[in-house]
Order: sequence, then structure tokens, then C-alpha cells
Amino acid sequence: MSALEKMNDVITTRLGFAINWARSNSLWPMPFGTACCGIEMMATFMPKYDASRFGSEVLKFSPRQSDLLIVSGRISLKMMPVLQRIWEQMPEPKWCISMGACASSGGVFDNYAIIQGVDQFIPVDAYMPGCPPRPEAFIEALMSVQEKARKGEAKSDEFVSDDATRDPSLSPSYRSPDHFESVEVPGARE
Amino acid sequence: MYAYDREIEERTDDTVRMNVGPSHPAMHGTLRVLMEVRGERIVKAEQEIGYLHTGFEKLGEHRTYNQFITLSDRLNYFSPLSNNIGFAIAAEELIGLETPRRCQVIRTIMAELSRLADHSLCVGAMAMDLGAFTSILWTFVEREKLYDVFEAVTGTRLTTSYTRVGGVAFDLPEGFEKRVTGILDSMEDTVSKLRDSFYKNRIFLDRTEGIGIITPEQVEAYGITGPMARSAGKSYDIRKHKPYLIYNELDFEVPTYTEGDTFARYKIRLDEMDQSIRLVRQAMKLLEPGPISALDQKHALPDKMSTYTDMESLIHHFKMIMPGQDHGLNPPVTDLYSATESPNGELGFYLVSDGSSNPWRVRVRPPSFLNYPIFGKLLEGAMLADVVAILGSFNIIAGELDR
Amino acid sequence: MSVTAYAKENLLTLAAKVEAAFGEKLLGKEEKIGYMQFSVKAEDEHALLALLKNDAALGFTWFLDRCGVDYVKYPKAMPERFGVVTTLLSPTLGVKAQVRAFVGADASIPSVSDLFAGADWTEREIFDLYGVAFKGHPDMKRILMPDDYEGFPLRKDYPLRGRGERSAFPVYHAIPASQAPREP
Repeated sequence: MSALEKMNDVITTRLGFAINWARSNSLWPMPFGTACCGIEMMATFMPKYDASRFGSEVLKFSPRQSDLLIVSGRISLKMMPVLQRIWEQMPEPKWCISMGACASSGGVFDNYAIIQGVDQFIPVDAYMPGCPPRPEAFIEALMSVQEKARKGEAKSDEFVSDDATRDPSLSPSYRSPDHFESVEVPGARE
Repeated sequence: MYAYDREIEERTDDTVRMNVGPSHPAMHGTLRVLMEVRGERIVKAEQEIGYLHTGFEKLGEHRTYNQFITLSDRLNYFSPLSNNIGFAIAAEELIGLETPRRCQVIRTIMAELSRLADHSLCVGAMAMDLGAFTSILWTFVEREKLYDVFEAVTGTRLTTSYTRVGGVAFDLPEGFEKRVTGILDSMEDTVSKLRDSFYKNRIFLDRTEGIGIITPEQVEAYGITGPMARSAGKSYDIRKHKPYLIYNELDFEVPTYTEGDTFARYKIRLDEMDQSIRLVRQAMKLLEPGPISALDQKHALPDKMSTYTDMESLIHHFKMIMPGQDHGLNPPVTDLYSATESPNGELGFYLVSDGSSNPWRVRVRPPSFLNYPIFGKLLEGAMLADVVAILGSFNIIAGELDR
Repeated sequence: MSVTAYAKENLLTLAAKVEAAFGEKLLGKEEKIGYMQFSVKAEDEHALLALLKNDAALGFTWFLDRCGVDYVKYPKAMPERFGVVTTLLSPTLGVKAQVRAFVGADASIPSVSDLFAGADWTEREIFDLYGVAFKGHPDMKRILMPDDYEGFPLRKDYPLRGRGERSAFPVYHAIPASQAPREP
């Protein structure tokens, strides 16, 4: 194969753009399904709606391997610290979908036990209305997060945790400029 | 040497404390188990619950009887229709309201369809927890078909809010019977496919047979009901014991096993699905035209369409729905415990009324809350890998466990 | 080992037997739909439940439920503020029985977890939501609410929307523009 023929198979792009494009099509969700919405979330990953069409079928229950937190279901007083810890453990860049009325606003449960919207305590990228939302709505939210990922945006970039004493090793950042500068691309020219 | 290595080396006893959950794939959402293990063997186990405490009972005191039906969807979200029907029956018994024939037949059909939906997800998820991922794909295909029926009948897939005190919200849509008949046939195929796959599967049998045995004495002392009690030889089914709706006219059996182990709990759910299919087929033959809601307009909501066209219905609707003095259902000042057979066991509602439109106290007696305490006992002496097998066979639903 | 089908006439057998054994200590009895309800004082409850369970002719061995009720400002006058309601099933008679015991706000009631293993969690739940303490319970601690929670949410004087506990968590702050991360 000549050098000229090789040129036809080469696309020139910015590294950041290519990474973001790759990321957006392989979002690994961390399902945090607590209640009814969790059942509809399961339905989305099942044959009829098949979320793997969007590259998101790898459900990793380990927060350290995922980049999309799906809060589906009501979050109680006892659960909120757990949810925050899981959010902290996820490496950056990370996105969050608040699925359903309960996670987004408390829904019908306006009482002592339920958090009135998880966005008070963790950054949320996409809200889904409905009680519970249909799988189509879930796919819509997933696509909007993909769109954000392609642009390199994430709500978590705009916020910093209250807790300054937090161990930085909990959530290593793969987004910081230092990380990319330290990557050595063989043969890259200045 | 890492800190945890040192900790293990410096320990005087040879057990390790282990935590599973609350966010863990096998913990069905929000359950958590703390265990002390010696090697692969569990020495001690304790469950921690409350991660989905929603305050249903407090909220029920601030909502009317008909409004609580909407909340009851979210108790057992595997089979919301069972909860709707259970609460409606409890409220009707409190008031002393008779429901018309067609309403009872529709409720029976919907209760059995929701039992099918619940059991199909449970058997699928249990096998998935044990590594057989395909079975949940099969059962979810069936569940999606049931979702379509629920959507056609009630308007939503999951949170159905289908019943009203004194009746049901909507009549059945056209072509309902044909549609359901098709689903029952494919459901039967799936059940026999599951039997073929698992009843002689060496791996599945090794992980379930003789694991997590519940004795009949434990069933009574712990208050275990439903498939779990029947798999341990205690044949208690409210549909036979004290028939409600039209169950006394229908011909069905209560499957019972005596082993009480995890495999028996799996088998009994498949057998109950067969019986539910039988029940729906019989009940559909009894469908006759007629009113779907009680004609007592002081206590049952009038037909929604007639509130737009008929003055009297509008007044009754207003009196029932709008807050105000003497509005709403005003049951006698009394209390009543009423139970129905939900897919998981006895679903009881203990209602205390103060004569106003809101209940004074709504106690939900969920099957999961009484079925779950024994789990920690069963784990003692079991292997670590048995945790998911036993838990999967319990079908614990956090929504009704924590309320 | 099947449970006897529901037999309404057995309710009267049950009522007669309990009345003979308890007599004046019984505050009231009422026939409901499918079961018989007995009301007693807190200190008599354990003895009544033990009788129901251990009497061979009654045989109420199947525990079904134990829950609390707050009767403060209830339209009907009640002997004490709280009620503890226990429901049992008799496989031999085929009927249910319900025992309603009344207990004051600061008083305690004997635990029945020695009779029924299932009462363990239900009593913890009543303690958690109503603050009724059970004497002799092996492990009296909160079950549904967090351990550091204050107050008893199902009491009638507890506000529905709580006392601000649902918004007391660490929050995230917006990063100042000067510190915003650079795009890669």
C-alpha cells in the first residue's frame, strides 16, 4: 500500500473532539435504581427498547467504572449520603440523569422522608418528567446527555463539593488539562 | 503492606466483616446486608433496611381515600394493580359498599394479570442473579406485552391507579379479550421454556436445592405468607381461605411444596403462573355488560363522562372530590383490617377512620416486611454465593418493605 | 398442613373462650369482618397473646401484623394515647384475631418477640415511628429512619413535611469563573 493510498484512510481532527465523540457513544451508566423508575429503567435495557443501540448497555454497578449516573426513583433521607458518596466516587468527566418526578422534585411524596429533588445536592445534567417516565423518555434523556458529551460539557464542571477535606483519590479527574498534557502521543509533532 | 492486609493479619479472630449494598446489583435496589464471614462461610448476618422509607403511612393521613389509591401504585411497583385492588377492597369494606358484578370480574382479571407480571419478573431476575441472563430477556418480553395491555386498560404502563372506591376507573377497551388470550398463550410457552431450562440444569439445581430452607414453624412465627409460605408446606391463600371478588366461582388450585428451599420457591412461582393463566381464562368467560362502579352515589364516584353532561352527577362528583365540610367519603368512626392475596403474600390494610374524608391511620401490612426478617437467619451457615440465590427467591420489593 | 377455610361461627367460640379467661380485664370486644377484635390495657396484652397462641383449642400461632396508632384528638375517647394493634391467624379455627392494647406516651409495653419472632421488626418499627418502647425487646433501635434521626414522624404532632431534615445535606457550590477548568 502506497503512502498516498494510506492518506485516504486518515481523518484529521482535534484530539479533544475525537475523545468526546468516542465518549458520547460509549456512556457507561451506573444505575441507581431505587423504586418504580428502576423498573422502567430495566425495561429500557431489555429487548424491546434496547439501550445498547446507543452504546450504553454496559451496566457497571461499580461507580469507579462508570460515567453516567442514573438516579431513578425516590431518594430518602437514609439514601442521600449513599448517593452522594457514589457520585464522589465516579471519575470525571461524569454526567447525571435525574429520572422521574421523585428524583427531580420529590413528586407526589412531599413529606418528611423524601429529598425534594436530588439537584439540590448533586449536579444534574438531564431531568426526565413522568411518574415513571416511559422508556422513550429515557432514551431522549440519554441522547441529550450524549449531545452534551459531544460538546464536552458537563454540569459537574460548574460545581465543587462542600466538603473540602474530601480525599481526591475518591474521584480521579480524567478531564483536567494536566491529564491530557501528560499523555504522550508517539510521533506527535509540536 | 496495605492497611487492610495489616488489619487482617492483626485480627485475633478469623472472621471478616463484609457489607453488601445498598447499591449492589443483587440487592434489588436498596437492600443492605452486613455479614461476618469466615472464608466463604457466613457466620452472622444482619439486614439494614429503610433506604427507601417514603412515608406512605404519614402521607395517607393527609390524603383522601381515593387519593391514596394513587400512592398505593408505588408500594409494590412490580404489580401496582394488586395494591390498587387491595386498598379499594379495604375501603369498601370499611364503608360497607357493594361493587357490581362486572367490576369484580374486571378486578379479578387484572389482579391475576398483575400476578403474572410480578412472578415473571421475579423468576427472570432470580435466574439472572445466578448467572442465567437469558431468562430475564424472555420474561421481560412477556412483561412488555402485559404492559401494553395495562396501558390500553388504565392509560399507563406502570403506575396504573386503576381502581376507585366502589369500582374501577375505566371499562375494558375493545379487543381486550383477544389481546389477552394471545398473551396467555405466549406466557404459557415461556413458562414451559423456563421449566425446560432450569428444572434439570445442574448448575441451577446445585445453587438452589437445599439452600435456605424455611421450616413450617418459622413460617408461622415470622408471619411469612404467600408463595414463600406455600413453598414451605403451609397452604394459606386468602383466595381460597376467605374468597373475595369472584374467586369462589373459579376453579383453581393452590400449589404447595414441602421442601421450603430456594428451588421450591422458584418452582412455586412458575406453578402459580399456570394457575393465574387458568384463572384469567375462566374469568374472561364471565365478563358480561353492566356498570363498572357502584350505583351508591354518596360513596362511589359517578361515571366521568356523565359528570360533563348530567347535573346530579356533577354535584356528587364535586361533593366527593372537593375538600370541605362533610365532603368526601365519610365512613363510620371505626377501624378495620382487610387483606387480599397479593403476588408476594397477604397484603393487609388496617384503616382507622375518624368519620372525615381522610383516614386517621393507614397501616399497610406489606408481605415483604414480614417475609424479609428471616433472611438473616437463613444466611447463618450458608455460603457467600447463596446470598443472591436466597434473596432472589424472596422477591423482596423495597417499596413495600420500607414504605 | 393447610389452613382451615374461614368459618364465621368460630369467632363466637373464640370470643367466649377469651371472655371466660379474661373477664373484667377485657376493655372491649367487637366482631369485625372476618376477625374478632379485643381491647386490653398494655400490661395485659402479653398474657392475652400468650393465651391465644398457647391454648390448643385456639391455636393462634400465625403472626400477621403488629402496628401502632396515635389516638391524640381522635373523635372517640380512648383510654391512652397510643394503640398497639396485633393481628393473628389461627390455622385450626380458620379465623383471625386482633388485640388492641393501649399505652401512654411515656409508658412502655411488654415485648411479644418471645412469642412471635416476626414481632421483632414490627416492634422496632413502632418504636421508630411512634416512640413506644417495648420492655424486653432484644434490640430496640431504629429500623426505617437513620440512627441519628430525632423525633417520631408518625405521631400526629409531627409535621408532614418534617422539620427541615430533608434539606440538611452537604451541597455543591458553583465554581467561580476564574477557577473554571480549561477545555481539553
